[in-house]
Amino acid sequence: MQMIEVNGIKKYYKVAKRDKGITSSVKHLFHRNYQVKKAVDDISFSIKKGEIVGFIGPNGAGKSTTIKMLSGILYPDEGKLQINGYIPYKQRKQYVKNIGVVFGQKSQLHWDLPLIESFELMKYIYKIPQNLYEENLEKFTKLLDMENFINQPVRQLSLGQRMRGDIVAALLHSPEIVFFDEPTIGLDVVAKEKIREFIKYMNETEQTTIIFTTHDMQDIEKVCDRLIIIDEGKKIYDGTIDGIKNKYANSKTIEILLENGEKEVKTFDINKTPMNEVMEGLFSKYHIKDISICEPEIDEIIRDIYEGRVALKTTDGKVGEI
Amino acid sequence: MRTYIEFALKKFQNKMAYRLEFFMGIVNTVITIVVYLCIYKALYGGATEIDGITFQMVATNFVISLGLSDAFKYNEMFLQDKIHDGTITNEFLKPVNFVFRMLSENIGEGLFKIIFNFIPALLFTLLYASLCPPKSILNLFIMLVSMMLGYLILWLISFIVQTWSFWLFSVWGIITIKNVFVNILSGSLLPMWFMPATLRKIISFTPFESIYFTPVRIYLGELCGADILSGMAVQLIWICILALVAGAFWKNGVKKLVVQGG
Ligand SMILES: Nc1ncnc2c1ncn2[C@@H]1O[C@H](COP(=O)(O)OP(=O)(O)OP(=O)(O)O)[C@@H](O)[C@H]1O
Ligand SMILES: [Mg+2]
Repeated sequence: MQMIEVNGIKKYYKVAKRDKGITSSVKHLFHRNYQVKKAVDDISFSIKKGEIVGFIGPNGAGKSTTIKMLSGILYPDEGKLQINGYIPYKQRKQYVKNIGVVFGQKSQLHWDLPLIESFELMKYIYKIPQNLYEENLEKFTKLLDMENFINQPVRQLSLGQRMRGDIVAALLHSPEIVFFDEPTIGLDVVAKEKIREFIKYMNETEQTTIIFTTHDMQDIEKVCDRLIIIDEGKKIYDGTIDGIKNKYANSKTIEILLENGEKEVKTFDINKTPMNEVMEGLFSKYHIKDISICEPEIDEIIRDIYEGRVALKTTDGKVGEI
Repeated sequence: MRTYIEFALKKFQNKMAYRLEFFMGIVNTVITIVVYLCIYKALYGGATEIDGITFQMVATNFVISLGLSDAFKYNEMFLQDKIHDGTITNEFLKPVNFVFRMLSENIGEGLFKIIFNFIPALLFTLLYASLCPPKSILNLFIMLVSMMLGYLILWLISFIVQTWSFWLFSVWGIITIKNVFVNILSGSLLPMWFMPATLRKIISFTPFESIYFTPVRIYLGELCGADILSGMAVQLIWICILALVAGAFWKNGVKKLVVQGG
C-alpha cells in the first residue's frame, strides 16, 4: 500500500493582470483581465511508508503549491490525491491529526510566548498523551540542542533557533507523515546539519514518511533516498540521486598527474567522445603517473537542468525515470 | 473543550507578562471613568435627575458598559494580519476550529482585562463616586450572564467585519467606523434613556440595544420578571443571526483561500 498517492493534480492560479498607467488602473477597478498561471500542471507520484523524498525545482516551479495541496490547505483544480487513506482537502480535520507540516518561511509558533508554551499548546491541540509529550519533548530538544533557548519568547529567537522550534512543534504528536517546505532556508552549516540529522533520525526510528523541499543539494544528498524534480509545474525527474548523476552528467572531469610532477585537468563531454577515445588520446599524448576521474557535482547537474542545458525528457516525451 | 479552555488560559497568562501594559491599563480605565463622570456631572449641572434618570444611574450605565467594552479590547486586526502574512493557512493544519480558538483567546484576554484592569479601577472609582447598587443579588448574577451574551454580540459584529479582510486590503477604517457606531448606538456614551424616541425605536431593531443596555437594565431592576427573559431572548436571537452571518462570511473567505490560493 502506498502512503501517498498523487494522480495528475493541477493547480492553476488566476492572477489579475494590470497594465501600467492611470487609465488602466481606473479600468482595473471595473474590469479585470485574468491571466492563468499554471503553478502545478499534471503531477503524479506515489510514495511508500517510510520513504524520504526530496522535492526540488527552481523558484516558482510549484513546490510550495504542491506541498499545500498535499497538506490539505489548497484544493487541487483537477486530479486525485489520497494520503494515509484520506483525501486531504475533503477530510481535513481528520487528516491533519496525523501529519506535521513545517513552512520554513512562515512560523507556526506564538510570537510572544516562550517556545515551551507553544509546545504545551500543541499538547492540547493534538491531545497528545502526557507521557508521549514528555518523551518526545525531551528527545527532540536534546537532538536539536535547544535546552538553552526553550524558555525564551519566540520573537527573541534567531532564525535557526526558531526553525528548530517550528520543527519540534510540528512533530510532537508523532505524525506519520511530515511535509517540510524549505526547513533549512537561511540557516548556517551547523544548524543545517542538525536539522538534516534530525530529519533522518525521525525517518529511521519512527518510519515517518517525509517529503521536503529545498534549494540546497546537500540536504538532498545527505538525507534523501529519492529525488523529485519539478519545473514549471511539471515533474521532470523522479528517481535516485545516483541515477541522475549517471544519466544526466554530460561532462566528466579527468585529472592526470604526469611523470614530471605536473598536473593536467581535462573536461570531456562523454556523449560526444566515448571514454575509450578519451583515454587513448591521453595515453598517447602524456606520460601518466596517476589518473582520477571526478564525478560531477550534483549542484552542477542541477544547475544544468534548471538552465535547460540537459533535457530530462526522453524523446517520446515521457518523464525520465530510473 | 479542554483545548479551548487552554487557549483562553494561555492568553490570560500571556497578558500577565506585560507589566507596564497592565499598570497603564488601570490608570487608563480610572482616568476614563473620572473624565466621563465629570462630564455627566457638568451636564446635570447640580440637578439630581433629568427625565427621571438620576446621575447615579447614568454613572452606573457608563461604568458597566466600560467594564464590558474593556473586556472587549483586543486586537481586531488579528485576522487581517494573519491573512496578510499568510499564517492563516497554518491554522488549517491543526485539528482545531480556528474561529473557536480566536473566541477563546479573546475571552482569555477579556477576563484578564476585567480582573486586572477593570475591577481595580472600579474599586478606585468607588472611593470617588457612588454608583447604584444592584436591585438584588439575583439581578447581579443575571446581569453577568446577560453581559456575556452582550460580549458575544460585540464579538460577532467584530468578527464579521474582520472576515472582510479576505476580500479587502485593509479593514482598519471599517473597524474604526464600526467602533464609533457601536459606542454611540449602544448607549455607552450617551445613555439610551436620553436618546430621541425615534432613534431609540430604530436602535431597538438592531443588536446594539442588546449589548450594554440590556445588562444595565437588568442590574438596575428596570427589567424584571418576564421582561428579563424577553430581553435575554432578544440577545440570544441576535447571537444566532450574527453567528449565521459570520459563518457565511467565514466559510466563503476560507473557500476563497483554499480554492483560489489567497
Ligand atoms: N496565491 C497565489 N496566487 C497566484 N499565483 C501564485 C500563488 N501562489 C503561487 N503562485 C505562483 O505559482 C507558481 C508556483 O509557486 P510556488 O510557490 O509553488 O513555487 P515554489 O516552487 O515553491 O518556488 P520557491 O522555490 O521560490 O519557493 C509561481 O509562479 C507563483 O508566482
Ligand atoms: Mg516555495
